[in-house]
Amino acid sequence: MKIRDGFALMPVIVSLLLMGTASAHHSTAIFEWGKEKALAGTVEKYEWTQPHTFLWLLVEQGQGKVQEWGLEGMSPSWLGRRGWSRHTLNSGDKVSIVYYPLRDHRLGGFYVRIRLPSGQTMDALPQRGR
Amino acid sequence: MGRTVSNRLAAIGAIALMTGCSAQSAPGAPSAASSAAPARPAADNPYAALAKLPDWSGVWDPFGVRPPPGQAPPPPPKLTPAYEAQYAKYLAKNRTTPGINFVSSVASCVPPGVPQSMLEPYPIEFLFTPGRVTILIETDSLIRRIYTDGSPAPSDPDPSYQGTSVGHWDGDTLVVETWAILPETSPLNGINGHSDKFHLTERIRLVKPDLLAITTTRIDPAVFVEPYTTTAYYQRHRDWKIMEYVCQQNNHDALDAHGDPAFSLSHKPEQ
Repeated sequence: MKIRDGFALMPVIVSLLLMGTASAHHSTAIFEWGKEKALAGTVEKYEWTQPHTFLWLLVEQGQGKVQEWGLEGMSPSWLGRRGWSRHTLNSGDKVSIVYYPLRDHRLGGFYVRIRLPSGQTMDALPQRGR
Repeated sequence: MGRTVSNRLAAIGAIALMTGCSAQSAPGAPSAASSAAPARPAADNPYAALAKLPDWSGVWDPFGVRPPPGQAPPPPPKLTPAYEAQYAKYLAKNRTTPGINFVSSVASCVPPGVPQSMLEPYPIEFLFTPGRVTILIETDSLIRRIYTDGSPAPSDPDPSYQGTSVGHWDGDTLVVETWAILPETSPLNGINGHSDKFHLTERIRLVKPDLLAITTTRIDPAVFVEPYTTTAYYQRHRDWKIMEYVCQQNNHDALDAHGDPAFSLSHKPEQ
C-alpha cells in the first residue's frame, strides 16, 4: 500500500522534541527520534492504556506473509485531550502511519501520525508549523 | 476524623437547642425545623476562611507552556564535581541524540519524586480544605499534602517520594517548604540522586488569570554549589478532568538489567 502525498514523510515539519519544562516518562534514545518512516497495515489491536498507547499493526509482506509491528504512542492523558479516544483506531482498520523507528531495527517504533480509513489524518505528537 | 466532626456537630446542635437559636436560620437557608442537620454558626466553620484564597480551580497543564515574554531561561546549575560529571554526560547525549535522554527509574514505573513529579507533561490540580492544600498530580496518580495550619512540622519524617511539606500563604502566593525526599529520586532532569539535605522551596502564584507559575528553589550542598531556581508555567483548563494513571497498566519501557533504556515488544496474542 502506497502512502499518498500530503500525508507521508514531511521532513520540513519536524515533531517537537518534548523538551522544555516538561519531562516525560522515559528516554526516547531507543528510537531514532525525528526520523520519519512510513508503514501501512491493518490494526490488530489498539491499546488505550497508561503510560503509553500501543498500536499493534499487521503488515503484509506478500505471498501470504504478515509481520506484526508494535508501535508505542503518547498516553491517553495526552492524546485524549487532543481529539483521540479509545475508539479512534479499531481492530481491522486499514491505516497508514508515520513513525520513528527503533534503533535496533526490530519491528517497532513510536507513532507520529496516522491516516484513518476515513482519510482523516491524526497527529499523535505536537507538530511545529501546523 | 469523621467521628470528631460528628461529635462536634452534635455538640453544636445541643448548644443550638439549649439556646433556642435553631429557629433562627439565615435567609435562604433551610430552616432547622425542616432539616435534620443542626445549624452551624458561620464563625465556627473552618471552610468559610477558604473563600479568601485565590481561585485556582480547574486543571493546570505544563505541557508546552511557554514563559511570559521577557522571562529569561534559567542559567545552568552550578554543581558539585560528582554531579557535574553526571550532568555533563546527559548534556553530551542531548547533543548527539535527538529527543529525551535522561534515564531514570521512572521508565520502570517508579514514581518521580518531587520536584520532577510536578514537571511531567501531565496536568495537576489543587484542592483547598481547612489547614491544607492538596495537589493531585495526574502522573502516577500522585498526591502531595501541604499542611498550612501552622501545626509543628514533623521533626524526623520518613523519607518519601513526595517528601514532607508545610506551606503558608504570602498574600496570594502559596509558599511550600518540602524536605525528607527519598535520596534516589531526581532533583533535576539529567541528575539522579541527592543527599538527605535536599530541600525545596516552591512559590506558587497566578501571573495571569489562567497562567500559574511555580518557582522552585533546590538546595542540597551535596549536589548544588548554590541554590538552583527554575520556574515552570501551567495553563488553566477549566473543562479538563484528571485521568487515572497507573503506570503498570501497560509499560513497555522498563530499564534493562544494566539500567539502560529498553523497549519490550512482547504482548499477549489476540484471541
